Amino acid sequence: MGSGMQLATLFQQIINGLSLGSVYALIAVGYSLVYSILSFSNFAHGGFLVVGGYICYGMLAGFDLVLGGQHIIGLQPFPSAAASFPSTSVPVSLDFIVWGQHLFSIPSSIWIGGICALIGAGLIAILTERLAYKPIRERTSTTLYLLIASMGVSIVIENIFVIVVGGRFRALPSGTFDDIFDIFERISRFCGTIESTGGNASAHLINLGAGVTVSMFDILSLIVAVLFLGGLQLFLTRTRWGLAIRAAACDLNTAGLMGVNVARLISIVFFVAGLLAAIGGIFLSFRYTLYPQLGGTITTKAFVAAVIGGLGSLPGAVVGSLILGLAEMLTAGFISSQMRDLVVFSMLVIMLLIKPAGFFGRQISDKI
Amino acid sequence: MMKKSLLGNAAFAVVGLTLALWPLSGYEEGIVVLLCINCIAAMGVSLLTGFTGIFTLGHAAYMALGAYTAAIMTVRYGVHYLPAIVAGGIIAVLVAWLIGVPTLRLTGDYYAIASIGLGEAIRLILENWQSFTRGARGFPGIDSYTTRWTAVLFFTVLGAGMFNLIGSRLGRELKASRDDRIAASLMGFNTTASRMKALLISAFYCGISGALLGGYMNFIQPSMFDMMKSTELTAVVVFGGLGSMSGTLIGSAIITSVMEYFRDISQYRMLIYGALLVSIMVLRPEGVLGNREIWSFLPRFGRRD
Repeated sequence: MGSGMQLATLFQQIINGLSLGSVYALIAVGYSLVYSILSFSNFAHGGFLVVGGYICYGMLAGFDLVLGGQHIIGLQPFPSAAASFPSTSVPVSLDFIVWGQHLFSIPSSIWIGGICALIGAGLIAILTERLAYKPIRERTSTTLYLLIASMGVSIVIENIFVIVVGGRFRALPSGTFDDIFDIFERISRFCGTIESTGGNASAHLINLGAGVTVSMFDILSLIVAVLFLGGLQLFLTRTRWGLAIRAAACDLNTAGLMGVNVARLISIVFFVAGLLAAIGGIFLSFRYTLYPQLGGTITTKAFVAAVIGGLGSLPGAVVGSLILGLAEMLTAGFISSQMRDLVVFSMLVIMLLIKPAGFFGRQISDKI
Repeated sequence: MMKKSLLGNAAFAVVGLTLALWPLSGYEEGIVVLLCINCIAAMGVSLLTGFTGIFTLGHAAYMALGAYTAAIMTVRYGVHYLPAIVAGGIIAVLVAWLIGVPTLRLTGDYYAIASIGLGEAIRLILENWQSFTRGARGFPGIDSYTTRWTAVLFFTVLGAGMFNLIGSRLGRELKASRDDRIAASLMGFNTTASRMKALLISAFYCGISGALLGGYMNFIQPSMFDMMKSTELTAVVVFGGLGSMSGTLIGSAIITSVMEYFRDISQYRMLIYGALLVSIMVLRPEGVLGNREIWSFLPRFGRRD
């Protein structure tokens, strides 16, 4: 391998790493947000991601919403393989049928699927908090019980999907993001600076020269991550609830004494966490595949990212995720793809030994 | 004092003999073996989590080390199974010592996080070390050396040892360092050393348990010892009651039997397990027995204190 080619691999893997890291960041930030308020490690966070992924998949595959019929919400039998999707951007339409009357049908697209996935995952997150965590929080201050309950919740969510939709690997249709890619292509043609080699629906690649290509999907995930993380930052710094959340991150009880509605605040935090996780879930299920156990593996990664950056710190979670994404992709590019996870966990352990508080964490004397 | 521990050991011998001699069908024998294996691992984790206050999410890795050591020794080198099982425990202890020296400085959540990382790292090493462990395909062809006798023998000896340990000076030292580490060290206890002892003993128990599991299943695979298994070990201990060794045994027995009972509807098994975990935490977070031992619930006859 010549040095030029190695350099090309390096750039390629850096781009891939940043894209993967930005998806991890969406998940890690939500996880870290919950940690900063309730100081427990929410292992069910991966469950929210899977909920988002499956809602989006279901919307794209076509729900059949029937009210007043034999069933309230009828799931059309899922196509057995992703190959059965037509590769156009609008595979099926959503038919809303109430009391046997066909009300309206809308073409299901990534916009509708995505929005429903975000809201659905957010609501599931609130529901989880209300059913499982709230009773424990009210009874005891020991976070260990919350941790174990969250593991139980993650097992429950995972297995509900195993039972309802089956444990098979599924992929979002290859044309999922075509609507958005079209916009990109128009912009790039308008600017005229980047040569686009689109055409094949599954490979929207932009050639940067010297053998380095970047897929539109990578750009999209970066842009969306930046948009949502920026939005979160604005929400936290510019709104009253954002102020309340920042206060609660310092001290939840005192925030409550200052007149913050703590129950609602925690619900908002969980909604935001679930929403961000759902975006990550959609991107991950497009990048890799969607399966019920996806949540577990990815949460562990987000968890590692959050620890590297400093538990409970949002900028830390972003930085940690980018480091993790880069480390994973560089390992895959230069050593071996099998060593990826080993590198991830070694980084975790080394970080804990050298600087347990992470890059941005608050120093607490209890740690050492 | 002497009399009480004699009574406890006698009780354990009776339990052991009953488990070993009571006439059972082949299927029930299998459940007894599984029960013994799970209880041994749970006792180990209970000592660390319940009695020393070190929360671990990586102890399945020590089971994996024990299982692979025993399997490789018996299959490749033809070692007798009894020394191989003990060697499994010892290898787990050695690795635990290597890990414990740097990581036991961490406390609370941070040790738990580190233990996840270390546990997964050990599993991934076993998975990628193709030439020695056969990797992710698993290690087949292990003799079924874990008979009912072997399992019950190890359970009885280790169980009696554990109950004596928690009543001993070291046991009280561990509880003291769990309740208040600073106060315990002011009392003159070397809490670092005693925490290390707890980790090593718990690794030994998990190693033995893993070695027995290998002989029971005849086949081991790194994915059997993933984070899920570690979680289960800790969950069993919390379910039984943190700081109650008899609670741990009861919790382990209940969870093993519930899982066994739902074997027919295996699709719903994990769902039920997860729901059980959540409901226990919501309804009775202190576990079945809380932090008391089962004999403290007996009427206090003939006791003067």
